[in-house]
Amino acid sequence: MFCLRKPLVCLLLISLLCGLAGAGLAQDDITLTMLTHWGTEDQLAAQQVIIDAYMEANPGVNIELVTVDFGELRTKIITGRTAGISADVYHFYHLWLPDFVNAGVLAEPTQDDLSYIDENVAQGTIDAVSTSDGQIWGYPTEVNPYLLVYNKRLLAEAGYDAPPSTWDELKEIAEAITQVDDTGAISQLGLGVMAGWDSGIVHPFSALLFSNGGSYLSEDRSVAEFNSPQGIETLQLYADLVASGGTDPSISGLGDFPSGAVGMVIMAPWWRATLRAAEGIDFDTEVGVAEIPVGPSGDAPSSIAYTWLFAVDSNSPNKAAAWDFIHWMNAEHEEGQGSAIGDFLVNALGAIPSFDHDQAAYADSMSDHYVSAFVAASAYAHPEQIVAGGQEIKTLLQVEIEAVMAGMTTPEEALASVAAQADAILEEQRMMAEE
Amino acid sequence: MKLNLSAKSAWWTPDIPKSPLMRRRMLWAYAFISLPILALLVFLLGPILFSGWVSLHRWDMLSPVGEMPWRGLSNYVFLLTKDSVFGKALGNTFLFAIGGVGANTILGLGFALLLNSPIRGRRVWRVLYFMPVITAPLALAVMFSFIFDRNFGVVNSVITSLGLPRQPFLSAPSQSLLTLIFIAVYQYIGYYIVIFLAGLQGIPQDYYDAAQVDGAGRRQEFRFITLPLLKPVMLFVVVTNTIGALQVFDLVFATTGGAPANSSMTVVLHMYNTAFKFSRMGRASAMAFILFGIILLITVIQVRLLRDRAYQD
Repeated sequence: MFCLRKPLVCLLLISLLCGLAGAGLAQDDITLTMLTHWGTEDQLAAQQVIIDAYMEANPGVNIELVTVDFGELRTKIITGRTAGISADVYHFYHLWLPDFVNAGVLAEPTQDDLSYIDENVAQGTIDAVSTSDGQIWGYPTEVNPYLLVYNKRLLAEAGYDAPPSTWDELKEIAEAITQVDDTGAISQLGLGVMAGWDSGIVHPFSALLFSNGGSYLSEDRSVAEFNSPQGIETLQLYADLVASGGTDPSISGLGDFPSGAVGMVIMAPWWRATLRAAEGIDFDTEVGVAEIPVGPSGDAPSSIAYTWLFAVDSNSPNKAAAWDFIHWMNAEHEEGQGSAIGDFLVNALGAIPSFDHDQAAYADSMSDHYVSAFVAASAYAHPEQIVAGGQEIKTLLQVEIEAVMAGMTTPEEALASVAAQADAILEEQRMMAEE
Repeated sequence: MKLNLSAKSAWWTPDIPKSPLMRRRMLWAYAFISLPILALLVFLLGPILFSGWVSLHRWDMLSPVGEMPWRGLSNYVFLLTKDSVFGKALGNTFLFAIGGVGANTILGLGFALLLNSPIRGRRVWRVLYFMPVITAPLALAVMFSFIFDRNFGVVNSVITSLGLPRQPFLSAPSQSLLTLIFIAVYQYIGYYIVIFLAGLQGIPQDYYDAAQVDGAGRRQEFRFITLPLLKPVMLFVVVTNTIGALQVFDLVFATTGGAPANSSMTVVLHMYNTAFKFSRMGRASAMAFILFGIILLITVIQVRLLRDRAYQD
C-alpha cells in the first residue's frame, strides 16, 4: 500500500537497499570466469573438481565455469567482449589466435609463465600458440594429430586384415566395405566424412594432403599452397571415393562410426571417450588406429595437428590471478606428478597433453592401442598453420571440398577458386597489419 | 488526458490539467510513455544507425569502435561484385521466398476455402493445420532432418516402398533448397490459412446469395466475389510472408547450415557467418542494408500492385 501511495519514495528506498546489498557483497574476493567448450556432463564434473581444488588451495578466489558448444565458442568470445562481459580465462582453438592478438583481446603472459612454457613444452607446440613474431600467448593444452581410425570387424568382414597404407588400398577397402540395399539405402559405408563442419572436412583433407607430399600454406604463410598438384590429387581422391561409393557425404562419420556403420574415418584422439561409450563398436577389440595412407605423390605417412590454449583476456581486472590459476592447472603439483589439466585431457578426453611432465606422468594412460598411435603421430604431424583470417579460409575450403563431393565442380576449379580467395584474404590481413 | 483536437494548428497540445492529482497522473503517463520511446531509440533506431556506420568500416567486433578503419563503400562493392557466396545466397533467398510465398498463398487459400465449407471435423482440421505454427522452429527443423534423412528417413521409406528411387533431400545440392521450402510451408501454412479464413468469413453471405439468384456458378462466385474481396488479405499475406521469407535463418541454420556447398545458403545465414565466424561486422552490416533495400523495394512494389488492384476492384 505504501508503494502505491508514495511510489517515488518507494523506488528510492529499493534503490538504496540494492546499493547496500551490493556493497555488502563487495568483499576482497576475486571472481574469475573461465570459458571453455568442454560441456558434457562428465567433462563439467571433471573441470569442477579442478576448480574446487584450486579454490580450496586459494581462499578468496572464486572460479566460475562457463561452457558453450565449440560451434558457438568464437561467437561467445566476440559477443562477450563487445558487450563488456568477457571471461577472464579463455580456452580456445589456436587458429583464432592471430585474429584475437591483432584485436588486442589477449593479455601477454607473465615472464614466469613464458619461461615455464618454454622449458616444459616441445618447440612445435610452442609455435602453435605463438604469433609469427615468436610471442607466446598462452598455455597450450591438447595436441590433436589426425589418424585413420577404423573398424576392425568391418574390415575383416570385407576381407581385409590390415588397414590401408596407400590411397589405392583406401579406395579399394572403402568400396569393399560399403553396402547398399535394394532400395539404395547405405547400410554400411567405407570411409566416413563429416560434411557441414569445417574442421571435420578440412583437417582430414589436410592430413591426406600432407601424406601426399603437399602443403596447406607457404612456409611464410603468405599464399595458399593447397591448390598444388598434390592438393588436386587429394581432392580427386574424394571425388573418386564418392564415385565408387566408398564414401558418401550424407552419412556422418562422426555419428555413424561409433554406431558401427562406418568402416574408416580420419579423426583426432579426443574421440576416445565417445568410442569407449559407443554401443555399436567395441573399443578394445574393434577400434583400430593407423597412419594416414600415403598418396601417389607422397613418400611417407604424414598428418596435421591442431592445438588449443588457455589465455587471459586483456580486459580482465584480475590478470595476475588468472595467470596464476592457469599456471596452477597446468603445472605439475609434485615431482613426477602430472598437472590437473593433463589428467583431465588424458583421462577424460583421451587427448594428448602439451606439457612434458604430463606426457611422462600419464604415459601409462596414453599407452592404450588408441592414444599411443596418436602420440607417435604427434612427433611428425604438421602443426596447423595459424594465420589471421585462417577461419575464413578454412570455411571456404570446406565448402569447395563439399562441392567436389557433390559433383558440382572439379578439383582443379574448386582449389583454384579457394586459393584465389585465400590469397586475397592473406593480402588483406597483411595490409591491415601494416595500417 | 484529453487532446485538444479542435485546434488543428496545435492538435498535439494536451490540455494541462489544473488539479495536482491530475497533473501527477499525467506525469506518470508521460513517464510510462517515455520508457518505450527510449527503448525504441536505444534498441532499434540506435543499432540501425550504428550498423549503417559500421557498414562503412572494417570492424572485427573485438577492436575498439573508435579504431575501426574507414572503408567507405568498399564493403558494398565487394558484396555486389566479388562475393560469390553472397550472390549465391541472394539467389537462394529469392527462390526460397518465391517458392514459399507462392505455396503459402495458393495452398493457404485453398485449404481456407475447404475449411470454410461445411466439412466434417472442421475444427479438428483447423487445429491440426495450426499446430506447426506454435511448434518451436528449431524442434521442427531437427524433426525434419530425421524425416528427410537419405538412408533412414520416413519419407524415403515411403518412397521406396512405392517403388520410387530413394532421394537425398537435404544432403543434395539439387534438392536441399526445395526441401527447406517444403518444411517452411508446412510450418507456416496454418497461420496463412487462419488469415484467409478470417477474410473469407468477412465476406457477406448476401453477395453469394445475389450471385446465385443471378445464376452464377461456384467458379464464378470465387472469381468475381471471393477473390476480389480477399485482395486486402492477399496483400497482407504476400507482403508479410515475403518479408519473413527473405529473412529466413533459424530453419536453415538448424537443418543444413547452408550446406551442401552453399546450396542452401541464405542471406541472413551468410550475414551471421560473416559477422561472427569471420569477424567481418562491416561487411555483414552492409549485407543487412542491401537486404533491407531489397525488402523495402519488393514490399513497395507488392503494395502498389496489390493495393491498386484491390481498390480498382
